[in-house]
Amino acid sequence: MSSSPTETRAPGAAKLVDVTMPQMGVSVAEGTVVAWAKQIGDRVQADETICEISTDKIDTEVPSPVSGVVAEILVAVGTTVDVGVVLARVETAGAVSIASSPAGELAAATAATVIAPRPDAPAAPTPPAAPPPSDAPVYGVLPANGGPAPGRRYSPVVQRIAAEHDIDLSTIAGTGRGGRVRKQDVLARVAAAPEPPLHIESPYRPDPVPDSGQLSRMRRQIGAHMKHSLDTAAHCTSWIEVDMSRVQSERTLLGVTALPFVASAAIGALREYPQLNASLEGERYTQHAAVNLGIAVSLGEDGLIVPVIQRAHELSVEGLSARIRDLAQRARTRALTPDEVRGGTFTITNPGQYGTIMATPIINQPQVAILDLEAIVKRAVVVTDAAGNDAIAIRAMTILGLSWDHRALDGALAAQFLASMKRRLEGWAGA
Amino acid sequence: MATMTYLQAISSALRDELRADDRVLVMGEDIGVFGGAFKVTDGFFEEFGPDRVMDTPLAESAIIGTAIGAAVVGMRPVCEMQFSDFISCGFDQLVNVAAKMHYRQRLAVPITVRLPSGGGFSGGPFHSQNPEAWFMHSPGIKVVAPSTAEDAKGLLHAAIRDPNPVCFMEHKHLYRRIKGEVPEGIYETPMTARVARPGSDLVVIAYGAMVHVALDATEDLDGASVQVLDLRSLVPLDVDAILAAVRECSKVVILDEANETCAAGAQVAALIAEHGFEDLDGPVVRVATPDIPIPFSPPLEQAVLPSVDRVREACRELLAY
Repeated sequence: MSSSPTETRAPGAAKLVDVTMPQMGVSVAEGTVVAWAKQIGDRVQADETICEISTDKIDTEVPSPVSGVVAEILVAVGTTVDVGVVLARVETAGAVSIASSPAGELAAATAATVIAPRPDAPAAPTPPAAPPPSDAPVYGVLPANGGPAPGRRYSPVVQRIAAEHDIDLSTIAGTGRGGRVRKQDVLARVAAAPEPPLHIESPYRPDPVPDSGQLSRMRRQIGAHMKHSLDTAAHCTSWIEVDMSRVQSERTLLGVTALPFVASAAIGALREYPQLNASLEGERYTQHAAVNLGIAVSLGEDGLIVPVIQRAHELSVEGLSARIRDLAQRARTRALTPDEVRGGTFTITNPGQYGTIMATPIINQPQVAILDLEAIVKRAVVVTDAAGNDAIAIRAMTILGLSWDHRALDGALAAQFLASMKRRLEGWAGA
Repeated sequence: MATMTYLQAISSALRDELRADDRVLVMGEDIGVFGGAFKVTDGFFEEFGPDRVMDTPLAESAIIGTAIGAAVVGMRPVCEMQFSDFISCGFDQLVNVAAKMHYRQRLAVPITVRLPSGGGFSGGPFHSQNPEAWFMHSPGIKVVAPSTAEDAKGLLHAAIRDPNPVCFMEHKHLYRRIKGEVPEGIYETPMTARVARPGSDLVVIAYGAMVHVALDATEDLDGASVQVLDLRSLVPLDVDAILAAVRECSKVVILDEANETCAAGAQVAALIAEHGFEDLDGPVVRVATPDIPIPFSPPLEQAVLPSVDRVREACRELLAY
């Protein structure tokens, strides 16, 4: 996110351009400067990081709006200021940016960092709010990768699969008539590029022992949130054993992890038992119509973050898989916006890749329940055929754990919810 | 389990229902003393007598009208049209009286109309038609069309026990050509589609005799995995099964023995275009009888009915797309 480049006219050809605390989504009013990447006198390119900031949601970097030399640094490290406050000023050497534009016209120097105006659009003054620069996350815009390349047309199913797996169709050689890209061609590409493991972990791993010194800012925040939840909610945890054999074969076909299947089953069960898709703040209990699904993502030693899939109930398993992967990758590259980590109505944590089988997760306040997916392991289980004969079979089993707030609901409801999830996962027959 | 022909399975269902339920009676032209034009009711007159196995005048309107009256007072009549083509004479009783009775007066009309239909044996334009779409277009009537002996018996049981008027399309050309295992006793086959053969590269959607054409045409198609979906019921139409097959295969051939325009397959194609668009990897292809009467001449008839070769070629074209 960049600041709004407002200009201060300085004598001569050089101009001073303000670098301000950016508006990061609608929910953030202030931010803290964590570090300066540039010092006074350093050269900085347009879009190059000038400083790092932290909000109560996420950490991010502030790029310079213009190329030039850092002239002033106005906010010290560790200081918290409101959105819009000037953090620094960059002096543009007039010749650097203005060479290709009418001399003395300041607008040209900043045009590169603001949205480039359409040639036919009327010239607008610089808007007062921060405009999104070209490298910022933009809400509601899908990646263009699924769209047809010039001169080629793709069938609806091919476009859908490409969009879900973020595949550039122009890079696929088709085997259909006239080189047409067929469904099997794009599926072959999906199969050839298995998705990277998600490294999603629960919040309940023992904290890594810090080498020495003070806890990081993120560790302190996680600790405060977890302790607050334990002090607030009446935690209980229920477990259920689930035969994941059908899900395992289905997910292998789709080339995705089991997590989106569990998420889909959880969404279905939440729609059946909406009492769990709720918030409890003090004595105020609110059920939510939409399922905004939080997914806990580990950031390695730094900690974890819970990005939220908004309106997750509108997504298929493939759609959930794509969203989870996108959010997890951007969480790890610190590219989430604050609005993407708020508004959750239910949370799933998935630390299973290390082989653990049970946990007692802590509820993400003010939600009333959290689901824990651990390892899926092969076990010998008793199965009964249609004629009532018992036999021992090898099945892919997992134990789903649900921590729930006894202030908001009772154990029977939690058990019914888990039974609904079990029924959905064991009877999986396509999304 | 017993092995029966398609025709024996229909007879078996009728006989079991007559024995099990006093309210069931059968009526039609020459079905009593003579045993029916195709001998479906052979021996019934002797076992059940003239009150329950009724020979009627050559008047389809009277047959269906009488059956409606009997049904309204609690009977479960099964009418035989000697050939489905002749039902045009009883059209008003069926589509205006029977079909709309419940809507107008909340009265159930549990009649079953057996319609020996279809061509392939040089029956000519009056004895070879597939009129199922006429009734699909008339709300209030169910339409089923079995392709196997097991489904013929089970769907006839389901039709007789259904509280609505049901047109039971029995394909004449399958009567003695198709044999299969049939469960003992009375059982009802659900009015839903059936996967006749699983597959994932392409699906052929068909019903009645065309299910067998589809199976023959795609049994060995250059190694492709071809699904065959047998609709079994046209009203109600199993939309979920159709869309599931489209989702799995993404390429669809729809097969009708009926004349192409507004046939059952046209409705299936429209459903897929609207609700399965994002799963499609090629145009929805239809194979049907062109919009002409069925010729008497055997080579001409074979030229217009969808053949194994035509279906195979259509599948090959679509697979290569």
